[in-house]
Amino acid sequence: MSTTEISSEIKLTIYHCNNAFGNDITHNIIDKEKINLKFINMACSSMVKDVFILRAFESGSDGVLVLVCREEGCRYVEGSKRAKKRVERVKKLLDEIKIDPKRLSFFNVSPDNKDATLKIIKEAVINIKNIGPLYSF
Amino acid sequence: MIVGEQKPITEIIEIIAPYKQLLILGCGTCVKTCFAGGEDEVATLASMIRLAFKKDSKEIKIAEQTVERQCENEFIQEAAQNIAKNDAILSLACGAGVQAIAKRFPKVPVLPGINTTFIGIQEQHGIFTEECQGCGNCGLATFGAICPITRCSKKLLNGPCGGSQNGKCEVNANIECAWQLIIDRLTQLGQLSNLRTYIPPKNWRTSISGGPRKLIREDHII
Amino acid sequence: MTNISNLQKILKEGKFAVTGECGPPRGANTQIINKKANLLKGYVDAVNVTDNQTAIVRMSSIAASAHLIKAGCEPVMQMVVRDRNRISLQSDILGAWSLGIKNILCLSGDHQTFGSQPDALNVFDIDSMHLLRTVKNMRDEGKDMSGFNLDDPPRMFIGAAANPFADPFEYRVIRLAKKIDAGADFIQTQCIYNMDRFTKWIKLAHEEGLTEKVYILAGVTPLKSSGMAKYMKNKVAGMDVPESVIKRMEGVPKEKGAEEGIKICLETIAKLRETKGVHGIHIMAIEWEEKVAEIVQKAGLTPRPLS
Repeated sequence: MSTTEISSEIKLTIYHCNNAFGNDITHNIIDKEKINLKFINMACSSMVKDVFILRAFESGSDGVLVLVCREEGCRYVEGSKRAKKRVERVKKLLDEIKIDPKRLSFFNVSPDNKDATLKIIKEAVINIKNIGPLYSF
Repeated sequence: MIVGEQKPITEIIEIIAPYKQLLILGCGTCVKTCFAGGEDEVATLASMIRLAFKKDSKEIKIAEQTVERQCENEFIQEAAQNIAKNDAILSLACGAGVQAIAKRFPKVPVLPGINTTFIGIQEQHGIFTEECQGCGNCGLATFGAICPITRCSKKLLNGPCGGSQNGKCEVNANIECAWQLIIDRLTQLGQLSNLRTYIPPKNWRTSISGGPRKLIREDHII
Repeated sequence: MTNISNLQKILKEGKFAVTGECGPPRGANTQIINKKANLLKGYVDAVNVTDNQTAIVRMSSIAASAHLIKAGCEPVMQMVVRDRNRISLQSDILGAWSLGIKNILCLSGDHQTFGSQPDALNVFDIDSMHLLRTVKNMRDEGKDMSGFNLDDPPRMFIGAAANPFADPFEYRVIRLAKKIDAGADFIQTQCIYNMDRFTKWIKLAHEEGLTEKVYILAGVTPLKSSGMAKYMKNKVAGMDVPESVIKRMEGVPKEKGAEEGIKICLETIAKLRETKGVHGIHIMAIEWEEKVAEIVQKAGLTPRPLS
């Protein structure tokens, strides 16, 4: 199965910190990629609860990407560190229920470097396309 | 507080297998504080079970509720309607909560979703330590408020044993030697003389050794 | 049958005592015990019989002690409080006495997580201090822990362990005093490699007048190799093997390791004999019983007074 054939079926949810990048990035991506991308903007990435990530999968996402500020750049001091711990935990939970933890990824980004952020998102899209849909029935 | 830890999901999936409609019932006091059985954990677990079942093309309906305390009737009552609507209850309370629900609802299967680990404290965010075994006969006054029954691996009343080195227990270098702590604290308090005398064997009748315990407060029974 | 053990007699007469050790087999094979007894007989005054040491299931110390008596060796029956509650411990003390076992060493016991069955429940109903007092009350008052007057109470010679190398150091002497008060007639120490620390400990004990109240048998274990020295230092609870000892063992060729180990052991014994407050030595030649005779002879401690 080639990636172009399934690309429209693939859904990726991106939780991101409000301060990690502006809205222009989301437009940029949506224009260029044929994929169902869902951006969820949060006041601070530390608000990513375990259940939010799981529910993204429940509601049809094949992958989840969590983008947070650099640790030293977090306005709420520990937000990025907390988000990282949450993601690590949920990766374990996914593994326990035999869902490939690689469907969930986490990156620190900076609003000053939008190109790097775009690259991360694009790579995440390729990654999820390669892994394929979560439910293949 | 009572500290607990969620059971492995594989075990949970195994014990809920016979049921089609499940209520996951959280408890909003102790086990919430230790991230094992509050609203968040109920929601997470429900989501995990749904994902896992969907993956295996199995069906299950899950209801979620969290009451303040599963060990008290007033709060249990709040869940009565929801309990009546489901085939089984997966309780995320401690062992006491699980049994309290079972006592009130004789016809409903009640399953444990967590392992009750100990009576303890949150030493720092995310780290819980055991401090009390509920022996029913507190001797902390003698030991500078550090319990050797709980915190010495050998429950020594006249410790430390020969395995205490550099403040660590022989069992594991991650365990602090309770007796080193007791001696340090009593030295600081000027009460080391507490330990010069022979501390007699413990009367275990007040502990679980005496059989299941019951406390009756006549003054509160109407 | 006299009620006084050889060990007690020798210590009472002010003679320098020598004890050995016999670990019971992991099975019911009595030949192993007889073999060890033959190696030790005539070279030691009594033989410690370990009680499921390192929490590994072995023949019971009572049964192995009884076999040793038959083989002509006097046992010091070790008893740990890890596996039995007070009812069982007392019952076994009565049984042991009825079989002619006259010495007991009261211990806490290694934690079961060290052993081959870490899933076991540990008991620790009473501690080693309580066990000492229990045996003493049986002997001096003729009563069990409930206060019941026993019909022919056991009158054992009571031992306890002391580890001068465990922490907190200052408290070790207080605990020794507590053990003496509780009922200890004699003390066997952890193996000594750090002579400085041992000397410091016994000096403190001497100053407290404790060496007049109790017989102290200093523990020695001959090293077989530098590997064993490192193992003892790193893996054995409550052990203190100084770097200098390890270096010395490493400094000789592998085939000379055992010889060097025995040399160190003999030097330690010589120093111990000169140390005030030491009443004897306890040789723990772990699975190396064949060397005990050589050590005792070379140390000039033969013939044994009552053999």
